[in-house]
Formats: sequence, C-alpha cells, structure tokens
Amino acid sequence: MLGIILFVLLASTYLMVISKRMPALIRGFRYQSLCLFVLTFIIALTQREPDFYIIAGLLFTLKVSLIPYLLYRVIRKIKVNEDLGLFINPQLSLLWALAFTYLSWIFASYLFSSNDPILTSTLAIAFFVVLAGIFLMIFRMTALAQVIGLLTMENGLFLLASTVSGGMPFFVEIAIFFDVFVSVLIMGFFVYRINKFFTHIDVNKLSRLKG
Amino acid sequence: MLSLFPKQLFLSDLLSLFFLCVIFIISLPSAIYSFGYLKGEYSPAKITLSWVLLIVFVLSMAAVVTVGNALIFLVAWEIMSLVSYFLVVFDTTHEKSIQAGTIYIIMTHIGTAFLIAAFLILYKYAHSFDFIAIKTACFIMPSQAKNTVFLLLLVGFGTKAGIVPLHIWLPYAHPQAPSHISSIMSGVMIKTAIYGIIRFVIFLLGVNSLWWGVLILVLAVISCLAGVIYALMERDIKRLLAYSSIENIGIILLGVGLAMLFMAMNKPYLAVFSLVAGLYHLVNHGIFKGLLFLCAGSVYKATGTRDIEKLGGLIKKMPQTAVYFLLGAMAISALPPLNGFVSEWLTLQAFFLGAFNLTGGMKLFLGICASLLALTSGLAAACFVKAFGVTFLGLPRSHYAESAKEVSLSMKSGMFFLSFLVVIFGLASSVIMKLLARVASAVMNIDVSSMSFSLNTFTLSPQPGRNIYLSAPALALWLIFFGIAGFAIYRIFGRGKEIVYKTWDCGYYKLGSRNEYTATAFSKPFRVAFNFFLLPYRKTQKIRESFYHVKSFTYETHTTKVFKKYIYEPVLVLIFRIANFMRRLQPGSIHLYLGYIFITLLLLIIFMGQF
Amino acid sequence: MIIILQIILFIVLAPFLSGLISKLKNNLRMRRGQSVLQPYYNLGKLFSKDEVVSQTASWIFRVTPFVVLSSTLAAALLIPVFILASTAHQMGDFLVLVFIFALGRFFLALSALDTGSSFGGMGASREMFISSLVEPAFCMAIFAISLQSGSTDISAFSGMHLIPVSSVVAAIALFLITIAETSRIPVDNQEAHLELTMVHEAMVLEYSGRRLALIEMASYVKQMIFFFLIAQVIFPIGELPIDLTQIIPWVLWYFCRIGIIAITVALVEVTIAKMRLFRVADFLGFAFVLGVIASICAILGV
Repeated sequence: MLGIILFVLLASTYLMVISKRMPALIRGFRYQSLCLFVLTFIIALTQREPDFYIIAGLLFTLKVSLIPYLLYRVIRKIKVNEDLGLFINPQLSLLWALAFTYLSWIFASYLFSSNDPILTSTLAIAFFVVLAGIFLMIFRMTALAQVIGLLTMENGLFLLASTVSGGMPFFVEIAIFFDVFVSVLIMGFFVYRINKFFTHIDVNKLSRLKG
Repeated sequence: MLSLFPKQLFLSDLLSLFFLCVIFIISLPSAIYSFGYLKGEYSPAKITLSWVLLIVFVLSMAAVVTVGNALIFLVAWEIMSLVSYFLVVFDTTHEKSIQAGTIYIIMTHIGTAFLIAAFLILYKYAHSFDFIAIKTACFIMPSQAKNTVFLLLLVGFGTKAGIVPLHIWLPYAHPQAPSHISSIMSGVMIKTAIYGIIRFVIFLLGVNSLWWGVLILVLAVISCLAGVIYALMERDIKRLLAYSSIENIGIILLGVGLAMLFMAMNKPYLAVFSLVAGLYHLVNHGIFKGLLFLCAGSVYKATGTRDIEKLGGLIKKMPQTAVYFLLGAMAISALPPLNGFVSEWLTLQAFFLGAFNLTGGMKLFLGICASLLALTSGLAAACFVKAFGVTFLGLPRSHYAESAKEVSLSMKSGMFFLSFLVVIFGLASSVIMKLLARVASAVMNIDVSSMSFSLNTFTLSPQPGRNIYLSAPALALWLIFFGIAGFAIYRIFGRGKEIVYKTWDCGYYKLGSRNEYTATAFSKPFRVAFNFFLLPYRKTQKIRESFYHVKSFTYETHTTKVFKKYIYEPVLVLIFRIANFMRRLQPGSIHLYLGYIFITLLLLIIFMGQF
Repeated sequence: MIIILQIILFIVLAPFLSGLISKLKNNLRMRRGQSVLQPYYNLGKLFSKDEVVSQTASWIFRVTPFVVLSSTLAAALLIPVFILASTAHQMGDFLVLVFIFALGRFFLALSALDTGSSFGGMGASREMFISSLVEPAFCMAIFAISLQSGSTDISAFSGMHLIPVSSVVAAIALFLITIAETSRIPVDNQEAHLELTMVHEAMVLEYSGRRLALIEMASYVKQMIFFFLIAQVIFPIGELPIDLTQIIPWVLWYFCRIGIIAITVALVEVTIAKMRLFRVADFLGFAFVLGVIASICAILGV
C-alpha cells in the first residue's frame, strides 16, 4: 500500500519535471502534495497522535487546495504566456531526473544501511524530491517555476524529516506551514507586480541589469 | 576576554614621558591657535565637533605612546588614525578633502595590517600582548622570525611616518586638513610612528643584525632627498611643508638608524649619542614644523589662498606672522643659533664620530650619507628661501595678497609660543641633551652616568678629549656682538642719507608684480639639475590668428610623480584587472547562482565518504 | 684679546688680498690694472655715498648687511690664525663653519627677493642652487680631512707634519669649493654686471652706499677665510713660535702660502671661461668625487 503511494509520489514528481506549461506544473504539484497528505494520514492513523492529524489537515488545506488555487489565479490574472521557458527540453529533463533518482538511491542506501526496503526507498524519494525542486529552480526560466521549486523542496524536506525522525517538532511544522503560505502569497503578489512592470516574468532577463 | 586584559596598562618609561611632553608642547599652542582660526569659517556646531575630535585625537596619541600592551596599542593607533581621518575631511565642501581622506585612510590601514601581522607573530612567541613579556620572549626568538617582524614593523610604521615610497598620502592629507590639525599631524602624529620603531625595534626586539641599521639609513637618505626635491617644486605652501616633513622624518631616521647600527656593532656611547641626535631632531622638527604650519594657516586665513605665486609683499601687511615664519624657516634650514642647527650638527657629528670609530667600507658609507645630509640641508634652505621670499617679500601678485590683514591674537600667541621654543631649544641645547641622553639610555639599557656630553652648561662636546665643541649661546652672543659692531661702524662712519626710491628697472619705469621672480622660476635650476628624478615635461599650446601672428601661447611645466606613476598605479591597475576577471563569475543570472549551490550540494553528497 | 687682534687682522688684510688677485689677473692680461690698494679706496668711497633703498624693500633688506658681516666675522673667529686652541674655538668646529656661511647666504638671498626685481630673484635662485650643491662637496672634503686628523676641529689638522695624499686631494676639492663660494670664474664673474653671468652680484645689485661697503667687506673676509683653510690643509703650520728669531720666517711663510693660493686663483680665473649655470652642477659634482677619493685615501691611510 505504502509502496503504491510512494510510486505515485515519484510519478508526480516526474510529471512536474517534464511539464512544459504552467498548469501542468501546478497539477503535478497538487498530486505530489496529495500523496504526501495520504502518507501523513496513514502515519497519523498508525501513530494515533493528534499532532499528525492536524499536520495532515494543514497539508491538505494549504498545499493541495489553497496554494495551487492561488497560483492558478495569479496565472489567469497576469495573462502571460503560459509557457514555462525551458533551458532543457522535457526528454533530457527526464533523463536527468532518472539520474537524480539513482543518485539519491545510492545516497540513501549509503546513509541508512537498514534492511527495511520501504524506509530506504522513502528516504531516496525524499532526497530526490529535494533535488527535483532545485532542478526546477535552476533550469526553468519563469519566476513561477522558482516558487514551485521552493515548495517542492519543502515537501521533500517534510517527507525526509517525518521518515527519519518521526516528524519535526510540532510547532516547527506549524511555523513552516505558515511561513510557506505567507511566502507564496507574497511571491504571488510580487510575480504580479513584476509582470506589470516588466511585462514578463522571465527571470533570465535579470542579467540585463548587470552593471 | 578577561585573560587578555592587561595587568599593567601603562608603561611609565622615560621614552613615553618624553613623547608625552612632545605631544603636549605642540598640541597646546595649536589648540590655542584654533580659537582664532576656526572662528568665522564654520558654524558653531561644527566648531564644537572639531574641538571634540581634537581632544580625542590628542588623547589617543597620548595613549599610543604610553600603553604597555600591544592590543591596546593597536586600538589606540586605530582611534588615532580614524579621528585624524575625520579631521582631514573636516572641510567637506572641497572635493579635494574627500580624495585626500580616501588616500590617507587606505594607506594608514595598509600600515595597520602590517602592524597586526607583526604583533601576531610576536604573540605566537610570547603568548601575551604585554610589552614586558614580549621583551623576555625576544631573547629567545629565532633570528628569522625577528627579521620578518622587523620588516613588517618597518612597513607598518613607515606608512604612518611617511618613509619613501610609502609617503604618498602625506602631500594629500596635510594640506587639506585645517591648519592647526596639520601642525599636530605633521608635528606629532608622524612622530608616533618613530616612537613605534624605537619602542618595538630597539627596546623590544633588540638589534643584533647589522643590516637593519643599514636598511633604515638607506631608506632615510632616500626619504630626505626625495622629500626636499619635491618640496622645492611645490607652489602650494602647505604641500611644500608636507614634503619637507618627509625630509625631516628622514633626518630623524638617520639618527635612529645610526643608533641601531652602533648597537649592532656594540658601541654604546655612539649609539646613545646618535639616538639623542635623532630624538633632538624629533622634538625640534615638531616645534618648527608646527610653527610653520600655523603660520601657513595664518596666511591662508588672511588671504584665502594657499598658492604662493598669488601672494607677495605680506611682510608689510602681516609683520608679526612674517617674523614667526622667518624664525621657522631659519630653524628648518639649520641656521645657527636656532634649534634645527643644533640637531643637524649633532646628527652630522654622529656620522663623523661613527666614521672615526669604525673601520673600512663603513667609514665611507657614513661619510657619503653625511654629505647627502648636508645636501638636503642646503636644498631645504633653498626651499625655504623660496617659500618665505615669494610669499612675504616683494610686491603683491594678486588681489588676494593685497587684501591681507594681520591675524587675531589667539593665532599670534600660538605662533609666538612655538617660536619662543625654537629659540630656547637652540640656546639651551646642552641642558636638553643631558635629558635626552637619559631617555636614550633608558631605551637601550646603557649606563650614561659616566658619559659626559657637554663641557659646561653652554657647550656641547661629543667626544671629551678631542676639541670638538658647539656652543650655541656663545655663537649667538658673538653674532649679536658683531652685528652691533657693524651697526656702530655704519652709524659712525660716513654721513650719507638714505633715500627711498623705486627698484632699479633698467630705465623702463613700469616695474610691477609681473616682473618679479615666481616660485616656479626660482626652482628651475633644481628642476634641471634633478631632471633624472623629477622627469619634468611641458605642455604648450599656441593659438594663432594667422600663420605669422600667434595670439596666445600657454606654457605649463609639470613634474612626473614618479612614485605614483611607477609604483602605485601599476599596483592599482593589477588589482582592478583581477577584480574584472573575478566579475566573470557573477553574470547576474539567478539560475547560475542556484546552479552553484546545487553543484556544491551534489559534490558534497557524492564525496561525502571522504569527509 | 688675541681674538680681537685676529679679527682686526682679517678685516685689514682681506681687501688687500682681493686687490692682489685683481692686480695679478690684470698683469696676466697684459694690462697695468688698478692698484693693489684699490679695494680700500672703493670701501672708503662707498662709505661716503648716499644710499638708495627700494620702496618694496622691508626691514630684511636693511638688516641683511649686518647679519652677513656678523656671520662672516663669527666664522673668522673659528679659524686658528695665531694660536691653535682658544676659548673661541669652543664655539664650534669645522661643521659649524658650513652652517654659519649658510646663515649669511640665507639672508642675502632673502634681501635679493625683497626688492622685487627680477635680478634679485635670479641671483637668489642661482646662488641657492650653487650653494646647495657646494654643501655635499664641502662636507666630503671636511670628512676626508677629519679622517686624517681624527677630529672635526679646525685646529686639529694644523698639527700634521707630513702632507698626505688625502690632504692634497681634499685641498683641491676645497679649492673648487672656494671658487664656487667666493664667486670666481668659472662659477661666477665678479667683474661684469651682465644678467647672464651674475650670481652674487645680482643679489647685491640693489645695495648702495655704506650697506654695500659692509657686504663687500663680508665677501672679502669670506674669501680670506677660505684661503686660510686651504693653506692650512696643504701647508700645515703650527703655532706662533715663542722664540723671537723664528717669528719672522714663520710670519713670512704664513703669508706666502696664502699668496701661492692667490696666484693659483688668479691663473685659473684668467685661463678658464665661465661655465654655464647647469654645468656648475657637474663642476661641483667633480669636487664631491674628489672628496670621496680623498676620504678613500684617508681610510687607506695614505
């Protein structure tokens, strides 16, 4: 059961990596967050602590519903070209994603030489999600991709923390969620303003400001 | 942190006491002078600020010369440099002040960096910042480390003292500061660097190598000559005085370098004597350079310009300032019986005595250095004939000079006190030499009770037994006697009248201030004689109305700033080139920066096994 | 007491020396020339004339002749003429001589600039240039002589009996310096008042009457001092002997050696042309090199 959810998580991350347009990216993010929510819910059920229920609930509200909704609104408002602006074409990105997966698998098995395959694979997937987030930030031109990349990294870290140590302290989790929410709000607002001023949100063009 | 707190903060040493005296006898008249100088120039708030800065400045200098802990020394040194920076850029409306301040602060911090390096090496051996602990550790320090520390200290203190080639900030900073600050900076602040050299090299490190003294002598001679030759070329009166300070620091270092040389050769009497000559010139230079800067400030305040080629005839408009400037100029040209003469005579005697007592090539080296010192004193006399003559004598060359008036009482009293000291330090030379001998012996740990430097209270005799004497009071007396005798002959014999008429003008009757010799013209022979060093070049511009008729001809002559052009500018160009190369790492693209982070992470992950 | 006698002797004999040299020069030029006592007549004439002082001049112009005369006479005190060591010799040594002359020169240059004429500025500029180049050569010559005699006192080298090579070379250097300091050809021309060729004369151009007499007297005494020095270096002579029979030959030889130097100076002035100002630097550099050679000889003990 867990294996299937992990597999869906992996697949959603691949979807994000190969997506060419903004709605596809956000969709992939939603699926990823949904899988994460299910995982957390299962952990909550097994651990039977109220903290996990709350965290799972927050996860659902924020990352599955609110944030993607906000991002959809921003896109529709700015009426910009929905093209994501790729430095690397989708096929090559997929190859890179596969390489990252392999890398994180080796890393995870190096770190935790335990016999439980589920644990190792969860760890590996967590690392991979973080790497995928960084990948998105580097190799996609628009500001939106940077935002999503950050959120993905946060997802991966959350997964890693909850697997390895049974979750971060409660209040840290709450604080992180709150931070993420506020930062997305702000980023959304800024993306809107940037577009209004520059009529595009292509971060690559920042290098024109170089003195 | 508590362990770094020193047990004994202040060093109550004779050397520190001497330097404290020097600081206060020069700062006090300058402070009194600043009453009149700053009035009317700035707003009252700014004047209060200048007073606060002045007090902090003097206290920090006093701290530098008295503390006994290297860390506190550095703190006081930094405070001194920073406060003097604020004082240099005090006149913020002139953009030249800002430029001067920038060069000053950069050079002084380079020096401080070298000092910190030297202190760190000393700490490594002594495990403490206290001077006494460092002194005991220096007995067992290996000579390689001692040489490194010596060179680092030389560069560090040399930047502050103004040894060539580290001197370039002096001609920028000293002219731009307010005049009383220039006098304190030139009279005292650069001497604290000499204090540092004496304290750290002679007292703490202990001189055992011959080449230390020789290196300082060579650098000092170069500073003397370069300083005075550049001073001869200047037409800004305060920059002329700044270059002259570089020359006199060279003369002081000649005394100090000789002391180090003789210490290494184990001749205690000569070492004490040379150090006394150096210290005597130190205090003398402080006095007469302080006086000259105050007079230059008076001229600036009265006329509004520092360019001497726009002045002239000020002796009739500002007679008292002229007398003080004349006394300062006579002292700095080493004319008897004033104080500059005594200290230069002592330095020359130190050279000669050393040559008598040493052997072989060293004799010739000391003789050549002595004659180069004589050359610089001749050139300094020429420089100050020019400075005094073009500024004060002759006809006024512009409206600046015509509208000059004598300055206020506070300024005059400051100058009067310093000129009084000029005369006293010349006449009472024997008494002062005895005091300085005790200071020098305290520094070098040599017993001077059996050495006698004077015959009686009026005559100096460097080597008892041989008939080498100097008696400044006797000289003064005979000079006055012969002067009066001459005047008597003048009055008694001959019954001619004295008629006041125009200067001889070859019959043209149109002699004006344009016919007078300018400062540039005065120094032309020197420009030609030293052209291998000065590299003068000229810029001319002809404007023609037709082929046959030249409407105007502009002629400018400049001297190349050798040190700036051949040493500092290549270094700056190199630094900027490296910085431009580094720029390629930063193209301004966020993706690339993120990529840097990513690659670092990847590398860490992959190679984590190694760590 | 002896001191006063010495000073009076200087004052009395100095113009005679100058007159002697000009007589010699004129005879060498196949002319009769002025009488040997002409400088005395000149001084007397100047004392009886009026003075014209420039309008632009200040008190420095008026005071300078007295300063110059007093400094030169004070320098004369340091020279051992009759006795080797006296209380006046406790005033200073050889190096003090250099600085005392600097005092006179400083004021003379200032007074030249005081009048505001271009002649004065030109004379002051050239004079300071030449004198600053004279100083290292002078110092080096003093160094060589002191190395030989072991002290910087002027009377110390009067006691030398043999004439070492270093003393001779140092004396030649001193001779070149004397030519520069006393304004003789090839450095300066005392006889002509042409703008191109004046140095000392340009500085005193504005002086007239009694003040000019004092300045001329000072330059005569200075010349006398230098000749005494050179004579003492090359032909060292001891103290005035007590024995009466030896006094006359001593006195004769004393003045003869100065006469020898005067003849040499006259010969040099007549045979050589005046040098361009910027070549004077080479001339004095040569004197410096001679001083270095003299010191090397002294170090080697020759």
